[in-house]
Amino acid sequence: MTAIVPDVIEFPTALVRSKAGDHEAFAELVEQHENMVYSLAYHFFGDRSRAEEVAQDVFLQLYRSLGSIESDAHLLFWLRQVTTRRCIDQVRRNRLKAVSLEDASELRARDRSEDPLLDRRLKRLISELPETQRAVVTLRYQEDLDPSEICRIVGLPVNTVKSHLHRALQALRRKLENTP
Amino acid sequence: MNLEHDLRRALRRESPAPGFANRVLERIERAPERNLMVQQPPRPVWWRAAAASATFALLLGGLATYKLVEYRRGVEAKEKVLAAMQIAGEKVRLAQQEVREIGSQH
Repeated sequence: MTAIVPDVIEFPTALVRSKAGDHEAFAELVEQHENMVYSLAYHFFGDRSRAEEVAQDVFLQLYRSLGSIESDAHLLFWLRQVTTRRCIDQVRRNRLKAVSLEDASELRARDRSEDPLLDRRLKRLISELPETQRAVVTLRYQEDLDPSEICRIVGLPVNTVKSHLHRALQALRRKLENTP
Repeated sequence: MNLEHDLRRALRRESPAPGFANRVLERIERAPERNLMVQQPPRPVWWRAAAASATFALLLGGLATYKLVEYRRGVEAKEKVLAAMQIAGEKVRLAQQEVREIGSQH
């Protein structure tokens, strides 16, 4: 008679341990996802301190909502959705166009072949897009999500998301061609 | 120039300043316990209906009290006017009487 022994012993994930009240596991969760959350906010606002603030708020909200998170996939979706909606809500509330001085000082980049300058210019142009287009572009190109995934995060029909994406790309192309 | 390629490069993920997770944990520790509790579920419908009814009843009660006070004030004012008219009538009657008496002396 042989005993069946599992090949791999599964340890509880950081999510499971966090839900059980383990603070170190929660820190692990934050470290796993901090780049994604921070970058979504940073690319949305173009401002590092504001991105830090939003990202911290998102993880604080996550801590409060851990009980409702069902799986790691759900956690990823939840973080993307809450971050994006917080960013859009903040802009709608304050109508702020945040371009940091650090970024604004380098807006006169002329040489498109130099990647860092083009990157900064693109970031600046993205921060000038309307908030929904900005969120859609960030989710599409930072997170590499399809319109069908983006529509669930921003809560819009998929065709509307495609339309926002199309208009955003048109606007970016036009601005890149027309501005020095 | 390939815009989509450039966007992917420009929007690649970046890291927050070192120690981000610690800063989040510090904020969690600093936040009052009540703020970190899972939000209470919304009150049941019957509770909201009862609260609305109580508010409505309070408003009605207030309105009725206001009307009653106004009515009493009106009655008091009417009584004062009647008393004033009675006094004035009496004085007129006395004046007429005096005039008649003076007339009869002449």
